[in-house]
Amino acid sequence: MLPGSKLKTLQELIDGSTRDELIWMNGYISGLVTPLKDFNGNGQNGHSTIVKKISIVFGTETGNSKKLATELAALAKQKGINVKCTGVDQYRLSDLDKEEFFFVVISTHGEGEPPGPAKKFYDAVMARTTTLPHLRFAVLALGDTSYPLYCKTGEDIDGHFIKLGAKQLLPLHKCDVDFEKPAKVWFDKVLSITEKGESASKLAGNVQAVAPKGEKKIYNGIILTHLNLNDRGSEKVTWHIEIGAEEPVNYEHGDAIAIIPHNRKEVIDRIITLTGIDESKVVESGKHKETVRVLLTERLNICYLLSSAIKKYAVITQQEIPDTRMDLIDLLRIYPVKNPEQFEEVIKVLPVIAPRLYSVSSSPLVNPNEVHLTVSRHAYLKQEEKHVGLCSTFLGDLSVNSAISFYVHRNRSFKLPADDKNVIMIGPGTGIAPFRSFLAERDARGATGQNWFFFGEQHFASDFLYQSEMQMFYQTGVLNKIHLAFSRDQQEKIYVQHRMIEQGKELFEWLQGGAYVYISGTKDPMSKDVEKAWLDIIVHHGKKTPEEANAYWESIKKEGRYHKDVY
Amino acid sequence: MATPQKLSPVERIKLSSDALRGSLKESLTDEITGSLREDDQSLIKFHGLYQQDDRDRREERAEKKLEWLYSYMIRLRLPGGLITPEQWTGIHHIAGEHSTGTIKITTRQTIQLHGIVKTHIKPTIKAFNTIHLDSIAACGDVNRNVTCSSHPSVSALHEEVFGYAAKISEMALPKTKAYYEIWLDEEQLLNKEEEKDPLYEDRYLPRKFKIGIAIPPDNDVDAFGNDIGMIAVIENGELKGFNIAAGGGLSTTHGNPQTYARLASMLGFVDTEEKVLKAIYEIMTIQRDFGNRSDRKLARLKYTIDRIGVEAFKVELEKRCGFSLEPARPYTFEFRGDHFGWSENHVGKWYYTIFTENGLIKDDEKIALKTALFEIAATGKAHFRFTCNQNLVLSDIDANDKDIVNELLVKFGIDQHTELASQVRRNAIACVAFPTCPLALAEAQRYLPSLISKIEPLLAKHNIDNEEMHLRMTGCPNGCGRSHLSEIGLVGTAYGKYNLHIGGDRVGERLNIRYKENLDEQGILDHLDQLFEMYAAGKNAGEGIGDFAIRNQLVQL
Ligand code: SRM
Ligand SMILES: Cc1cc2nc3c(=O)[nH]c(=O)nc-3n(C[C@H](O)[C@H](O)[C@H](O)COP(=O)(O)OP(=O)(O)OC[C@H]3O[C@@H](n4cnc5c(N)ncnc54)[C@H](O)[C@@H]3O)c2cc1C
Ligand SMILES: Cc1cc2nc3c(=O)[nH]c(=O)nc-3n(C[C@H](O)[C@H](O)[C@H](O)COP(=O)(O)O)c2cc1C
Ligand code: SF4
Repeated sequence: MLPGSKLKTLQELIDGSTRDELIWMNGYISGLVTPLKDFNGNGQNGHSTIVKKISIVFGTETGNSKKLATELAALAKQKGINVKCTGVDQYRLSDLDKEEFFFVVISTHGEGEPPGPAKKFYDAVMARTTTLPHLRFAVLALGDTSYPLYCKTGEDIDGHFIKLGAKQLLPLHKCDVDFEKPAKVWFDKVLSITEKGESASKLAGNVQAVAPKGEKKIYNGIILTHLNLNDRGSEKVTWHIEIGAEEPVNYEHGDAIAIIPHNRKEVIDRIITLTGIDESKVVESGKHKETVRVLLTERLNICYLLSSAIKKYAVITQQEIPDTRMDLIDLLRIYPVKNPEQFEEVIKVLPVIAPRLYSVSSSPLVNPNEVHLTVSRHAYLKQEEKHVGLCSTFLGDLSVNSAISFYVHRNRSFKLPADDKNVIMIGPGTGIAPFRSFLAERDARGATGQNWFFFGEQHFASDFLYQSEMQMFYQTGVLNKIHLAFSRDQQEKIYVQHRMIEQGKELFEWLQGGAYVYISGTKDPMSKDVEKAWLDIIVHHGKKTPEEANAYWESIKKEGRYHKDVY
Repeated sequence: MATPQKLSPVERIKLSSDALRGSLKESLTDEITGSLREDDQSLIKFHGLYQQDDRDRREERAEKKLEWLYSYMIRLRLPGGLITPEQWTGIHHIAGEHSTGTIKITTRQTIQLHGIVKTHIKPTIKAFNTIHLDSIAACGDVNRNVTCSSHPSVSALHEEVFGYAAKISEMALPKTKAYYEIWLDEEQLLNKEEEKDPLYEDRYLPRKFKIGIAIPPDNDVDAFGNDIGMIAVIENGELKGFNIAAGGGLSTTHGNPQTYARLASMLGFVDTEEKVLKAIYEIMTIQRDFGNRSDRKLARLKYTIDRIGVEAFKVELEKRCGFSLEPARPYTFEFRGDHFGWSENHVGKWYYTIFTENGLIKDDEKIALKTALFEIAATGKAHFRFTCNQNLVLSDIDANDKDIVNELLVKFGIDQHTELASQVRRNAIACVAFPTCPLALAEAQRYLPSLISKIEPLLAKHNIDNEEMHLRMTGCPNGCGRSHLSEIGLVGTAYGKYNLHIGGDRVGERLNIRYKENLDEQGILDHLDQLFEMYAAGKNAGEGIGDFAIRNQLVQL
């Protein structure tokens, strides 16, 4: 129908756009052409909303908040509202004073911390003292009820805006990981406010009570395969774990699986003897009402307690305890509880065990009823002494046929591009996990784009995770290029970033050719070194100054061609 | 009359290899695997290396989604098996740095290092090069390491005869410069004429080719087991020339009746060096032109000769040589073992032959052999010679250095280890087999020592423990430990199972014959017990157990 010329411009526009931009345009255009489409009962059409201009900002780590923000923006556009929608990392803080209708969609990460990109914004807001009398706002907080500090970032911002005298249009709205439905409810309220003006916020406020509380889908699986991928003589232990569920698991490549580990039996036994509490007594702690044994083993966090939890302990036991973090068992030893009753009070306020995430290393196209994980034994030093992580060890100690429950953590910002696009994957160590899933996915889809993988570990002979599978992908042409860095097979240490520099010329050509870049694995130092390497490559092979290189890199990010899944 | 059938795959690989280069350079850069591209796996043999993997680890690695544990074995080219103390020191370090650390003395007088990973191949070869050692043509369808009776004290002319090993090896070296380009990073040849190879052309030989030189009365090289066996003819203190025998080969294949072990047929005597070299050269060209290139199992010279007929072969040879061979001169072999302990040669140089069980040189709980040899080499007083019985001769020691060496032998208990070892143990040979040999059906060098510990009491029981007795074990019928040419042969058929062969003579002039099949350890011990009993009761003075078995028709010729 379109004349070739127009079709061409449209096509170009589409090709050059990211998924999210397309979603936005989709909404925008339909908004332009069908003003009457969302004609509503009050006889008003989209263009006669009272509020003409709103701002939506999002703070996201794994893309969920962004997805929701763009969806809301599209809906508002359809109503002909002038919408400014940006990530808080792009947001000019001085603009806050100019804002009138300001909507924040923000998640919580780490241990109740703001998402990485939102840190600057969060700190600035929290540090702000000058009031915001004109600001009218509402916050949609994404989080996960499984974490002790549920939706903390959203809470903080909401609370601080109120402190600064801003007007809260809607009560803070929290969403658990299955946030679609609850988010919709919030959207409707926001939209009705734009139609009816602030007055709507009252009744909207009342609706809050009945807003469906996000319940997430928990899967009960059993371990089908459980093996250590590292060969004899390796200093590493990396478990390949295949979990089967009786129903198809609703996940995608690039997602992660959340697991709530159990505390170690020995420790629980020691705690019970130490406190003399009756382990079969049923106690209510937070949303859990179970026997002391079950609570301590499966529900409550007893490791490396946050200082907030320690403060509560101090209050209950009426003791002076310095602001610090430690394990409950140490706390009980150094600052004993008077009696079992007192410990019961402690149990009631203990935070829940935080879930740990593991990137899925399988593809639902190949294993619909299974998720595969690649878990490395996490080791760390505590007072010079080697300790192993709770969840990684918990998973490592499981064996075939053990039962395990888990849920899916969607990561919308870590997905493959269109099948014809080229992909560069950098994933040393367990960073290989999502790429095993990517390659399986691209294989199953018959994707035509090229795939280039950089992997690294300590030793070729013992630590080349999934070597035979990678060889198969390579032989069958799914994996077009692979470069390996084994740090300890020679005198000087060689890491993935060194291999990247060696391949710099071609890597830059791929970038120029529109390739998408993915990094997975440890945040420090790997992902940082890899990013440095990219900048070096752009400077060197793109003949650019460091500043230009940064700008170039930023543009790659803006185009949605750079994705990270680091931890 | 070269066979019309279609060429075996290996022939195609050789022809299209651009003088043994193939895609070896590329194979070395494939980071994703420790193995080589398929064709290169055949080609690298010509450079003296074999791709192997640790067979003990296959299943476990596969489950871990890891490929097989690939590594490479390198075999040096050491005509006559002689090296300097400096070279030994070098090998000691190379073994430690790039391989399993164990140094293996082979049944053809050279050494092998195992477990070299792909990225270490070049450094290894370069390191050998700096001490003037190479592995060119140590394997592959070419002439292999030329062996020569190892013990200089056997004859005043040892030196002179020994010289032939190097000369023949040189003459039969492939002309290609591939080795230098691929491993030593030398300039690529511009003028390919320089590597034109009149002997091997671009097809090389149909199969491996072996030459051994015996100096009577010793036949430690098992001359008749070689494609060409040369026997030095020494008359009144002068080297007259050589008796030349051809068509030896000791391998068979289970269940393939067309394959058989064969002793070399005596062709005749040749004098002057020039004629000797010419005769050797032309025997190789005949095999090149007439050998079977479609079935590698039937490609050795022994089959070519039997197909043509010994006489016809001789006629063709004389035609190519332009001279005729004289009738073979008389000679007698009396001994095939090693002269353990100290001995002196005609010019007062001293020699100490060390018993190195199955040629394995390493430090273990029993004895620090490797360290001992390292210290001895450090003195610079002794050269090292390897024997075809997988042992080692500290050689060419000046009379006044003898004590220095001896002190070290005593310090490390090497003297005891050598001199107190039983007859049967000292004369035994076992091939490598598991875990590195891809063709192994049963254990050999890892197992024989413990088996012998169970055989020794039997010999003692029948008090024949002082009889010279040659027991050899191989993990398969390829016979790398020349098990078919021993008085008692144990040939692997399956894991833990062996065929028992008897009836070979003491000096290597008669093949043994299969006596019992698929015996497990108990079966082996029971049958040996019976044999020993009969032998102890009925042997004539000085009669070996093999001869005894034939005389009493325990096996039929
Ligand atoms: C190291 C050695 C045995 C030892 O313990 O000393 C040896 C080891 C192997 N021999 Fe051998 N052969 C060795 C002397 C022999 C001998 C004895 C001799 O030459 O005096 C024979 C019997 C004589 C003969 O050639 O007829 C021998 C007949 C074979 C054969 C059978 C050849 C044939 O005609 O069919 C094979 C298999 C093949 O070539 O296909 C073979 C193949 C092999 C290989 C390379 C297996 C392979 O092809 O991949 C073995 C390597 C094992 C390892 O891990 O090291 N080896 N091989 C000897 C090295 C000699 C050298 O330094 O060059
Ligand atoms: C998106 C995402 C994807 C991931 N994917 C993978 C993956 O595919 N594979 C994988 O192996 N991992 C993955 N991880 C990491 C994984 O989630 C866990 O962080 C890791 O397994 C460690 O958890 P743990 O319970 O074993 O260690 P923990 O017990 O939680 O310890 C973690 C850290 O806490 C501190 N700590 C804990 N207890 C104490 C104490 N008593 N005293 C002092 N300090 C203490 C230490 O610094 C320690 O290093 C991923 C993480 C994220 C966020
Ligand atoms: C490493 C990590 C830590 C998290 N910590 C918390 C937390 O402390 N509190 C919480 O409510 N949610 C927590 N979550 C859950 C996220 O907030 C939730 O998955 C949200 O949907 C992510 O939104 P985003 O994709 O916009 O970042 C965490 C998620 C991850 C991956
Ligand atoms: S005889 Fe067989 S098992 Fe022994 S080394 Fe030779 S090929 Fe291997």
